[in-house]
Amino acid sequence: MKSIALAGNPNTGKTSLFNMLTKSYEYVGNWTGVTVEKKIGKLKSGDAELIDLPGIYSLNPLSKDEGISINYLMNESPSTIINIVDGSLLERNLNLTIQLLEYGKPLLIGLNMVDIAKSRGIRIDQKKLARLLGVPVVPIIARTGSGCDEILEQLGQSASSSTFQIDYGEIIEEAISEIDDRLDADLPYHHRWLAIQFLEGNHVVKDKLSAWIPEKDLNEMYNRTEKKIKDTGESHTLPSYIYKVRNERIKSIIGEAVYVESKSATNWTEKIDRVLLNRFLGIPLFLAVMYLVFQFTFDWLGSPISDQLDGFLSGPASDGLTWLLTFCGASSFIKSVVLEGIISGVGGVLVFVPQIFILFFFISWLEDSGYMARIALLMDRLMSSVGLNGKAFIPMIIGFGCNVPGIMAARTIEHPKERLLTILLSPLMSCSARLTVYALFAAAFFNSHQSLIVLSLYVLSIVTALLLAKLFSSTFLKHEDQSAFVIELPPYRVPQWRILLRSTWEKGKGFVRKAGTFIFGGSVVIWLLSYAGPSGFDVEMNQSFLAIIGNAIALLFDPIGFGNWQAGASLLTGFLAKEVVVSTMNIIYMTPDDTALQGVLGQYFTSLQAYSFMAFTLLYVPCLATVAVIKKETMSKKWTWFSIVYALVIAYVISLVIYQGGRLLGFH
Amino acid sequence: MTLSELEKGLQARIIDLSNISPLVRRRLLDLGILEGSIIRLIHRLPLRGAFALEVNHQEFGLRYAEAKRIEVEVV
Ligand SMILES: Nc1nc2c(ncn2[C@@H]2O[C@H](COP(=O)(O)OP(=O)(O)OP(=O)(O)O)[C@@H](O)[C@H]2O)c(=O)[nH]1
Ligand SMILES: [Mg+2]
Repeated sequence: MKSIALAGNPNTGKTSLFNMLTKSYEYVGNWTGVTVEKKIGKLKSGDAELIDLPGIYSLNPLSKDEGISINYLMNESPSTIINIVDGSLLERNLNLTIQLLEYGKPLLIGLNMVDIAKSRGIRIDQKKLARLLGVPVVPIIARTGSGCDEILEQLGQSASSSTFQIDYGEIIEEAISEIDDRLDADLPYHHRWLAIQFLEGNHVVKDKLSAWIPEKDLNEMYNRTEKKIKDTGESHTLPSYIYKVRNERIKSIIGEAVYVESKSATNWTEKIDRVLLNRFLGIPLFLAVMYLVFQFTFDWLGSPISDQLDGFLSGPASDGLTWLLTFCGASSFIKSVVLEGIISGVGGVLVFVPQIFILFFFISWLEDSGYMARIALLMDRLMSSVGLNGKAFIPMIIGFGCNVPGIMAARTIEHPKERLLTILLSPLMSCSARLTVYALFAAAFFNSHQSLIVLSLYVLSIVTALLLAKLFSSTFLKHEDQSAFVIELPPYRVPQWRILLRSTWEKGKGFVRKAGTFIFGGSVVIWLLSYAGPSGFDVEMNQSFLAIIGNAIALLFDPIGFGNWQAGASLLTGFLAKEVVVSTMNIIYMTPDDTALQGVLGQYFTSLQAYSFMAFTLLYVPCLATVAVIKKETMSKKWTWFSIVYALVIAYVISLVIYQGGRLLGFH
Repeated sequence: MTLSELEKGLQARIIDLSNISPLVRRRLLDLGILEGSIIRLIHRLPLRGAFALEVNHQEFGLRYAEAKRIEVEVV
């Protein structure tokens, strides 16, 4: 099957187009570095696959996500490339376009964001641009889908490579032909492209070239050429010389094909930034935004809806099911599995779907608005003082939804140690699964201040992460070399309902699916463990296997306030996924719904113990899926184990301080 | 003068980028920012926090420590 690759600068709308043209849906957001993996989808017409790649500025990668795009182009050969170009920032975007033209595969330019360009008074003569570059240019608005048909039409036609070439001047051209002479004729790459990339300092290409030309010779050639360029006085380095020549050509192309009418449209982005990035208001406003999000998620919207759902599940739904089971003549064993195991376990978690979807809705809204990059900017001062990078705040906020994509998002952080630190600390971010535990306990023990209590846990997670960052970065993850913090601040966009709802659903879907699979299975197993004991089946709960297992670790939890076997068993099963803590409790305490469970919990926990339990659940270990992604991203067993062990230790210490400290202060 | 001394709202031309770290220089080049570019200061966060700047209709953020190493002249 034909494969067509989407390449272009970050945040230019590649994934938006991908979502329009294929049956799949991938993650879209208004900041640079949303896509961090190669994503494959089938065209709606079904006759080719489309490959979405992380955004790149040039073919010389700095960060891990950029490396993925370059490796794709080096090692897998797409039949056509669609280069998505941001029409409102044409000059910068064409730098990559020219490198892709030199790469030599058939190319099609999707001229995106023409709506924004137009509002800035930029008019692009696409026919002229196409002629100057020697490839088709299709104006599109990927966000609305306008122009997509034409893209498909162009893809259907037989594509040929462009003959576009830049004359880089005598010195460079000489070096290019010297490399060309030493390469075999039948390589799958254009020699000229390899040579130019090598002379531009592309280390991936250099590695490739060293298979055919000894590295010693390559270095010698590079230095010799660079010296010649220096002697002409035109540039200090080879890469900057090549950049300059290319840029002159781009300027002349733009001079011919782009007209700018000076139009003084209001710059909304700057106006908004004047408030959101205000010296004094910036950070308080961010905290206020987060507080509002939690108010909506809990007090104002989420909890009332959840209560209704809870009432429905425990009332009509389970009555109906009981009736149905009796009607079918199910044995009492089956009835118990379904009603005490599955309904309690799965239902107890599903009840929180409204809160979780509301939270995801707001996270999606933050992502698509353009505020994310500003948050990174606001936080950079604080983050750099603990050895992190402002950009690390983006994975953390995504982590409030789910830690797995949060950890993936750390790929855009250039500095390896900062990236590792971000990966290790992201699991501390309080994800939506943990929210089920808070929602349960906060409603049971802190009814009048639910969102405040929950907010305090989110603050606890961030403060713990920052303190640990300081500790780690000043001990074993010390780095002297400068890190980079250059972040694009894209224009604000009013998020579209269609995109918001889709992106909320895509995030929340995972939670619902988990309830139907993982938690379903887990509930059955947990119920069985509570139903069976050494003396046989249908034993007293306190004599069950689950109680034995829970008791074995309960002693450990005594100093932090919850030395009962029920808490121990819930936390143990919670390693699978943190919602399972809630499922297990529902099963253990044999309550039909969360309202009843809240009542029962009061007999086992005091308010202080409940808070200590929430803090422990927040921090104690990354869930199974998160551990897997840490392993994948760090490629190290050692760091994976470390992330589990340090979390256990810190959770214990913090809960100990909360519980014992609270008692000293007279709380209970 | 250096970029860090530039007043809010004013424009300046970059004259020397050679003192910043290569990584940052490369990233700036990615955004099309090099010697000769006209840069404008939009915001400056407190406590030597990050700067929000604009070049060619494109906003971006930079650290104080880097801005201090960029030589500019007001235009
Ligand atoms: N105004 C406007 N916005 C667009 C257009 N195309 C995409 N967007 C928005 O631009 C932002 C970035 O879109 P993405 O599709 O995530 O961009 P990307 O190129 O995949 O970005 P990376 O994965 O970070 O490289 C989103 O907020 C889109 O809604 C367009 O034609 N006009
Ligand atoms: Mg993308």
